Amino acid sequence: MKAPLRRFTARHAWFAKLAGFAWLALACGYAQQQSTPPNPPIAPTLAKDPGPFLPPTPAQQGRGPRPVAGPTPHLPDGRPDFGGNGAWFPGFNGNLAETTWKGVKSADTHVDVPFLPWTLKTFNERVENLAKDDPEARCLPVGVPRFMFDPYAFQMIQTRNQVVFVFDGDNYLWRIVTVDPAGTHPKNLKPTWLGDSVGHYEGDTLVVDVTGFNGLAWLDQAGHATSDKLHLTERYTRTDSLTLKYEVTIEDPGAYSKPWTATNTVRWRPGLELMENICQEDEKSSIHMIGNVAPEKQ
Amino acid sequence: MKYFCFFAALAVMHAQGQMPRLADGKPDLGGDGVWLPRQVPDLTLKTDVPFQAWAKLKFQENNAMKQNQLDLRCLPPGVPRIMLMPRPFEIVQTPTRILFMYEGGAHVWRQIWMDGRAHPKDPNPNWLGHSIGRWDGDTLVVDSVGFNDMTWLDDAGHPHTQQLHVIEKYTRTDPQTMKYDVVIDDPGAYTKSWTSTSSLSFRQGEKLAEDICLDKVSKTQ
Repeated sequence: MKAPLRRFTARHAWFAKLAGFAWLALACGYAQQQSTPPNPPIAPTLAKDPGPFLPPTPAQQGRGPRPVAGPTPHLPDGRPDFGGNGAWFPGFNGNLAETTWKGVKSADTHVDVPFLPWTLKTFNERVENLAKDDPEARCLPVGVPRFMFDPYAFQMIQTRNQVVFVFDGDNYLWRIVTVDPAGTHPKNLKPTWLGDSVGHYEGDTLVVDVTGFNGLAWLDQAGHATSDKLHLTERYTRTDSLTLKYEVTIEDPGAYSKPWTATNTVRWRPGLELMENICQEDEKSSIHMIGNVAPEKQ
Repeated sequence: MKYFCFFAALAVMHAQGQMPRLADGKPDLGGDGVWLPRQVPDLTLKTDVPFQAWAKLKFQENNAMKQNQLDLRCLPPGVPRIMLMPRPFEIVQTPTRILFMYEGGAHVWRQIWMDGRAHPKDPNPNWLGHSIGRWDGDTLVVDSVGFNDMTWLDDAGHPHTQQLHVIEKYTRTDPQTMKYDVVIDDPGAYTKSWTSTSSLSFRQGEKLAEDICLDKVSKTQ
């Protein structure tokens, strides 16, 4: 017997209605966005969440049945094992001081950021001008800690005295952390995007001290600024086989009045392999990063 | 005492000559340091290149340019050219993969699969190719396909097509030295496969620096 043709059932109708409503909501949102005057005045206080950024569907996220978490894996010598057959995927976390940003889940906790006046002004400008000067849009290194808040998969390879981070985005970058409990940073560091990283293990946590930054990187997509006085203390803890808790203390007397701590949870994707991703290959985005200007002025 | 010094010196020389090994007996291509390739601007100096006609013309055109235009855009130099440039890189070995982290080029890395997998049937053409490796005695043999046709094989400008198939052989002859042999097999550009050779030297205790090519580009523009 032939399989019966799939018919338009009540269930399908429900989906169709849902899709219709979603479309309507989107269209209205779009129309509203179009009708707002260009260049709104810069908010006097901390800029608000700039609005809808559609969360990816489960299919887009490649979600199958959720894998079951096991205990924290360890290397034979007792160190926590941050590797395995798979990769870490932070997802889109646009603002490391907010739990929701552009309509999707962002950092784990809200932080009242101790802005200095110039960083508050810069941050508000970047939110208002739609992050038009984002270094990442020009294929420059995402930097630390933003790599732990951006939707690029990464792996951590642990050797005797190093932890090598390899990223598939944004320009197929690597980052090497020297593991040495007595380690210190070299004097007169050349300022860089990723800084100089020295780490050690504290039980199941990898603690990394980073300094020597160039002050050009943004802490997140939203646009929290840094200065070349930035000093980070990162804490990586694999709380179970599928979960990496990330905590970073940002100490930057050139940009913030006191140290503050941001957190994120990064998921393990079993079987995920990294693919070469060369942002520079056919870079056509940066010319479109024109900010919040009216179409006729483009 | 004289004899002691003599034997001590012999022992040191012996130790220096020994190729380091990992716990599983495989050669250790890493260590606390970085590899520095010898600069080889032209892969073919000692070789008669079996050019196809178009490839010869393309080579002459590239060679006349003196400057790889993709370098100015900070794109990865490709294989084997990235192994012929005097910029350090680090090797990290795991049971299933060998990773190369390059200071020069575009701060990129490269992975060589050691888990026995085959190349994908229809690889997405990219800058560093799809690389699988195996041990032939103490020599690491890396087989790579899946390249785009935009890179040059060397600074001189030898062209290739997407049919490029590169076989690299890495032999650490002593702690300081790695022999590098490469077979270029590209039926789209050359009438038969051809080989070249170079070497790398180990810089004990040195570390990779961060050098972001795009920083310089944005400053000159």
